[in-house]
Amino acid sequence: MSASAPGDGTLLSLNDVSKQFGGLRAVSDLHLTVRRGELRCLIGPNGAGKSTVFKLIMGFEHPTTGTITFDGADIRRWPTWRRARQGLSIKMQIPGIYPELTVHDNMRVAAQYHVDRGQMEESIERLLARVGLAGMSADLAKNLSHGQQQWLEIGMALSVNPKLLLLDEPTAGMGPGETEATARLIESLNADGVTIMVIEHDMTFVRLIARTVTVMNLGRIFAEGTIAEIEAHQGVTDIYLGRV
Amino acid sequence: MRRGASLLKAENVAFVIFLAYLVVYPSTTDEFSIGNTAYFMAISLMALSLALIWGKAGILSFGQTAFFGVGGYLYGIYTLNVIGSDATWIGILVGVLAGGLVAAVLGYFMFFGGVNDVFVGLTTLALTLVLQTFMAQTAGPEWSVGEARLNGYNGMYVPQISFGDMALYGKPLYFLYFAIMIGVYVLLRWLAGSRWGYGLLALQENRPRTETFGYNVRLMQVQVFALAGGIAALSGVLYASWGSYIDPSSMGLTAAITPVIYVAIGGRRSLTAAMISSMILLQLSQSLASSAPEYALVIFGLLALLAVLFVPEGFMVALFNVIDRWLFRRSVRDTSQGSGEVVPGRGELA
Amino acid sequence: MLNVVFNALYQFQVSFSFLLLSAIGLAVIFGMMGVINLAHGEFMMLGAYITTIAATQGVPLVLAIVIAALGVAAFGAIVEILVVRRLYGRLLDSVAATWAVGLILSQGMLILTGPSMQGVSSPFGSFTVGQTSYSWYRVLLGVISLVLLALLYLLFMNTKFGLRARATIQDPAIARALGVDTPRMYTMTFALGSALAGLAGGLFALTATIVPFFGTNYIVEAFVTVIVGGANALLGTPIAAALLGAINAALGTKYGLYIGRVGLLLTTIIIIRVLPDGISGLLERWRMRPSGARSRK
Repeated sequence: MSASAPGDGTLLSLNDVSKQFGGLRAVSDLHLTVRRGELRCLIGPNGAGKSTVFKLIMGFEHPTTGTITFDGADIRRWPTWRRARQGLSIKMQIPGIYPELTVHDNMRVAAQYHVDRGQMEESIERLLARVGLAGMSADLAKNLSHGQQQWLEIGMALSVNPKLLLLDEPTAGMGPGETEATARLIESLNADGVTIMVIEHDMTFVRLIARTVTVMNLGRIFAEGTIAEIEAHQGVTDIYLGRV
Repeated sequence: MRRGASLLKAENVAFVIFLAYLVVYPSTTDEFSIGNTAYFMAISLMALSLALIWGKAGILSFGQTAFFGVGGYLYGIYTLNVIGSDATWIGILVGVLAGGLVAAVLGYFMFFGGVNDVFVGLTTLALTLVLQTFMAQTAGPEWSVGEARLNGYNGMYVPQISFGDMALYGKPLYFLYFAIMIGVYVLLRWLAGSRWGYGLLALQENRPRTETFGYNVRLMQVQVFALAGGIAALSGVLYASWGSYIDPSSMGLTAAITPVIYVAIGGRRSLTAAMISSMILLQLSQSLASSAPEYALVIFGLLALLAVLFVPEGFMVALFNVIDRWLFRRSVRDTSQGSGEVVPGRGELA
Repeated sequence: MLNVVFNALYQFQVSFSFLLLSAIGLAVIFGMMGVINLAHGEFMMLGAYITTIAATQGVPLVLAIVIAALGVAAFGAIVEILVVRRLYGRLLDSVAATWAVGLILSQGMLILTGPSMQGVSSPFGSFTVGQTSYSWYRVLLGVISLVLLALLYLLFMNTKFGLRARATIQDPAIARALGVDTPRMYTMTFALGSALAGLAGGLFALTATIVPFFGTNYIVEAFVTVIVGGANALLGTPIAAALLGAINAALGTKYGLYIGRVGLLLTTIIIIRVLPDGISGLLERWRMRPSGARSRK
């Protein structure tokens, strides 16, 4: 269970993973590998199982079969909090900020297990500036605009110095300006060395940031490749149009 | 605390005034009032226990009186069986540890079993009633632990806290209870500002999300529940030794709900508000009981109803907020422009 | 031997109907609105008082009980509009608020009418089987509880109101979008639950002393039945009443009243832990169990 990095640069791998809910197979025979430094987009029609994959990685659900390895360790049975302390961070579809706390306290809560007391304030200031919320420390999180709340949450997800950052539809509800700003933010984070995996429906956004794209359908991986390859793939269009 | 948060706010000023008042009080009044106020301080620990569990961790427990009873009874059982100059002091420890242990076990059963929110209230209420019902039928002589007869509703006699043969009463007892109450208060204030305390605030709002930041949420719930149970047990010990008596009514339905009502009226999110307002309400309840007993509970019921409907943060907390806003000119709701409005689209990404 | 069996059946039936009648009003409100009405016991007390006052004025018993049910229904509607409505979505606060209402009611009744009131005794007398005498009235209560269940079933399944109510329980937003006046539905449901509490209070008034704390005899049992039964008032509550009634009757006969109650409470704690949605949750899961057609391929 050591955190020694395997030589081949693999950060996360799901092997032969499936997840069954009663009679429903949400995910089947999944093989997914993410290398250090990647910026991977996960796309697919509704119900393809994308969010389930994130839940399995984070530990909200445990796989029915298969193994999950992160940074050299078999995390399949680990509780969520332990995975978080190892460097897994997530921003989910449903808002995950603390509305009744201030922006500052939101950041502090997120950072406490990863930043020393002495460096806390400086770290919070730095991250708030990074996500464009400088100067708003004292505001109550619930008073922020929707877009600002999304950025706050990204800021919180960053506070844990993640090795792997999972973003589930980060631009949901954003206008084009905010979407573009978010794309730039994600790219700059990736350039700084954060491995990122993004679930998205907005293809404009995917085109802006994607290096590699994984397409899922009906609980399985349907195709993988660069954004150009995926867009040229007739089968991908088919599944989105429901022809499969 | 917030960056730059100064200590000068209504809550802290109120605490200092409260502290000063209690220190000076015994020199200004008679033996009976001193003893009576000591009793109030013993009970205010229940309010602190609830402010911790409900205010800081969002867990509504009707079971604090169960731990109160456990503390009182275990103290009695120990001190009735063990003689010695230290006996009563160790008895206090026994009572507190017993309460904390029962709370830890119940907490483990609940939180690691996924029981949360209103079901915690129901489970703890059921447990309180189990204990009360069980104790109620212990009147017969076969129900005793060593020298200590449990005695059902006849009540159990309990020795007072003493140094050797000298039982504490009057001013020494008052200041002992005072030191304990303030000690617990300071401990809780310190914990609230710690990493653990911040984690509690977070898990109160959103448990699954908090786990994703690395907090072992269920363990923390058990920890806070055990600590609150220990404090409630301490309250029971002090109560039992003050009156030399304990019986199952201290674990009944009314006893279970009363501290919740006090804290609902005063304000559960602030340890200071809970502590001060519980003592005020205890005094009020006593005054009403002698002058207009039938109306006492109606008034409390009305106050609680008004608080829940119109002032959910509690009257004293609302007062603190008002004073803070106008006198000390601090407001959490101001944006950096001070207009109190949400400023859209102001963020820019570097 | 037959006497023993009859006695056991009788004890079970008494426990069952006692639990069911106490709980059904609370269950209807909880199932529809998710609100736990801590004033439920006091609503029963109101029903008991109205029944007793009417009966001692010469009103025939049946009518007196009906009047009590209607009276408490009206009172419940007022409480819903003034208090509960402001606390939708704030479950813990509605618990505290309804508790306060109950406290005001019981203390108010104490102030108005004093510590107790002369009651009316139960009709129909008793019959004997073997060496033991049994009360006809308690048997009648058993019959009434079953009839009441049947009537409620008809109400919820066969009337327009029932249809709208079930829609609101399933999905309030969609029900509202389809034209159901949800606030009015909640008020009417709360009134129905209150009526059932008043009815139960009136029925029990003939078997207990009429004091302002009348409700405390029933409130704990009502709660545990609702918790064990879950949100489905029509199915979950009677099954829970049967289960708990059996436990209570068995333990109570063998070890006495106190242990019977302890048994009830311990069962409840275990059920909360193992079946947080109660028996209703179990039924729901059984209904949704996987069939072959559901899996994706």
